[in-house]
Amino acid sequence: MLCSDFDIRRLMALRAVEVGLLRLKWLAAATRFELAMVRHHRALKLAYKYGYNPAQPRVPAGQREGGQWTVDANGNPVRPNRTRLAGEVPTGNSPEIPKEPPPTTRLRNIAIRVIAARLGPGIFVAAEAGSWIYDHKEEISAYFDPPKTLDELQKDAEFPEKGYDIHHVVERASAKQDGSEDGQIESPDNLVRISRWKHWMINGYYQSSSDEFGGLTPKEYLEGKSWEERTRVGLDALARFGILRK
Amino acid sequence: MNSALNQKSTADLVKIFAEYSAQQYDHMLIAEVKQVNRYYHMLKAIELELKSRIGDQRRALVLLYDNPNPNVRVKAAKATLAIAPAAARQVLEVVAETCYGPEKLEAGMSLTNLDRGIYQPT
Repeated sequence: MLCSDFDIRRLMALRAVEVGLLRLKWLAAATRFELAMVRHHRALKLAYKYGYNPAQPRVPAGQREGGQWTVDANGNPVRPNRTRLAGEVPTGNSPEIPKEPPPTTRLRNIAIRVIAARLGPGIFVAAEAGSWIYDHKEEISAYFDPPKTLDELQKDAEFPEKGYDIHHVVERASAKQDGSEDGQIESPDNLVRISRWKHWMINGYYQSSSDEFGGLTPKEYLEGKSWEERTRVGLDALARFGILRK
Repeated sequence: MNSALNQKSTADLVKIFAEYSAQQYDHMLIAEVKQVNRYYHMLKAIELELKSRIGDQRRALVLLYDNPNPNVRVKAAKATLAIAPAAARQVLEVVAETCYGPEKLEAGMSLTNLDRGIYQPT
């Protein structure tokens, strides 16, 4: 039980030291992670130089030789005794996920997205059991969903799920401003279920100034454009972000 | 012209461009649009300063094509599309193909807009 101002001040000072230490530990871990990523990037660059191609055809998963390349970089069939796993890219040291989560929600949100963006779908392989990143497992899993057809994405929109958001292909606010009908904006044709993080990032993209449009944001560029043009841009964004399979 | 940038060497401007792009990336990851746009204008000012220098010194940004931060690579590629179109485009293609973050979307949409003639780098 706290009985005096002195005790309270002592406790507060201890808490401050604890938070400071936690932050230092996080910064040290983040630096180690950053250095590992530099090595990872160099190794990947070298791999590309020698013909590594992530899109090179592989034997489908579930088969005995699943994951092995079926053709070499020139499109010639690979002989069984020379096959290699596509994942066997010399990537140097694997990036390390900090053991402690960052001290604030904002830093934590940045860190988890940096880690996901850099480690890719292998993030759970790199994570230790019980790691703080498992607090975000639904968002991470949704983030690495394979691309789907438009029909599949539209059907998914009928079933909300954790880690996902319902996304308007034609951006809602600007379409409304330009006089589009609510019925058209909220129509099942315009709704898809996509990863929550990708939803935020696409919204961010729409509102970010860009050289492509002379310094305007995509949202500003689309003002006054037809529904068809807005749909085209919306679908392009989904395809380019690996959400829509065309 | 921005007088503070005017006083800096080309090498320093390249360094600042990389720092700003890396800082902008944190904001892109969590869709802090206001900050993203603030950095856009700061990066644009550096780009214009480099462009105004004899021989169009935007070419110095080519050094950033190898930067480990994907947003630095994208921003350097976009800033040099007018002077090194093939090399800059290749940087965007690799990011669009191999990355997972918001840089993938930006690089991919830049390529789409280039191909459609909407994006005409100058």
